[in-house]
Amino acid sequence: MTFSLHSLMSRFTVLVALLLLVSGGFVAAQADSITVQARLVHGTSKEQKGKMEVSAAIKKKLARVFKWMHYYQLNSTQLNIADATTKTTKLSKTASIKVTNRKNGRIAVSLYSKGKMLVQKTQTLRPGSYMVLAGNTGTDSAWFIVLSKSK
Amino acid sequence: MNENEIELKIQALVDGELTGREAEELRARIETDAALRELRERLTAVRGLMAGAELPRTLPESGDFHWSKIAQGIEREEREAKRLAKPASGANGWLRWGMPLAGVACLVLVLSLQQTTLPDLDILFGDGHELELTADEIDVMTFNTGDDAMSIVWLDYSIDLRQDSLQLWLD
Repeated sequence: MTFSLHSLMSRFTVLVALLLLVSGGFVAAQADSITVQARLVHGTSKEQKGKMEVSAAIKKKLARVFKWMHYYQLNSTQLNIADATTKTTKLSKTASIKVTNRKNGRIAVSLYSKGKMLVQKTQTLRPGSYMVLAGNTGTDSAWFIVLSKSK
Repeated sequence: MNENEIELKIQALVDGELTGREAEELRARIETDAALRELRERLTAVRGLMAGAELPRTLPESGDFHWSKIAQGIEREEREAKRLAKPASGANGWLRWGMPLAGVACLVLVLSLQQTTLPDLDILFGDGHELELTADEIDVMTFNTGDDAMSIVWLDYSIDLRQDSLQLWLD
């Protein structure tokens, strides 16, 4: 079956133009919305069977800095945040975070414990990077709130 | 010239295939040689018999067979061109749009692969880190990992890791 090259090229051009138009609109619509993954992690030296470990990537990064060998994910939530809006999520019985989308990948994260804000960190969070809020617990272990931006 | 060659020459002369000087020389030789004369007469007689006995043969196709084939070829090509010029239908239509669509899909695939295989620039936190504390009694330490892939705020503060029972129930 033979088709003229000109005919095929013109159709191809029309489709590429449509694709660019649609994808441009899609990108414009999605540009200011971000998705942030927040995880509450417990770092400890003792192995705790039955608990879910964090992803290998996060464990590797945390273990490179901190002394603990095991990192268990206690909670994980995904926040889809539109431009200039804030979303709140509760990570434990007393701890919660507020995440604000401040455009261009910049986010502000406020950590609350028992209703009181402890700290607010603002930075540009790029896919593949992590913002970690952490602290020790009473025993020989630590808590981590690991925030990452989905691609 | 041996006998066989002479016979062939005389046969050629009878068939009218010898001309010019060669024919004249052979004729002169035949006039002086009775055996050759006899051979020529015999060959001439045989030729006469064969010419009369030949069956008429007709061509399986008319004289302008080849021209008709060419004309048919031209007509076939014209019909094909008209058929292609008609609006696409059925499988043809699918192919006409399918092929450019496949091209676009390949383009998208290549672009997306290029996007995913871009070198990981990793992190350059550099500027714009802001930290605000509301509890003065908490000791805070901030630092970035060597590869800048992780920024850490370490608080001298213990939070309750237990999950909300209502949330657990909902989960």
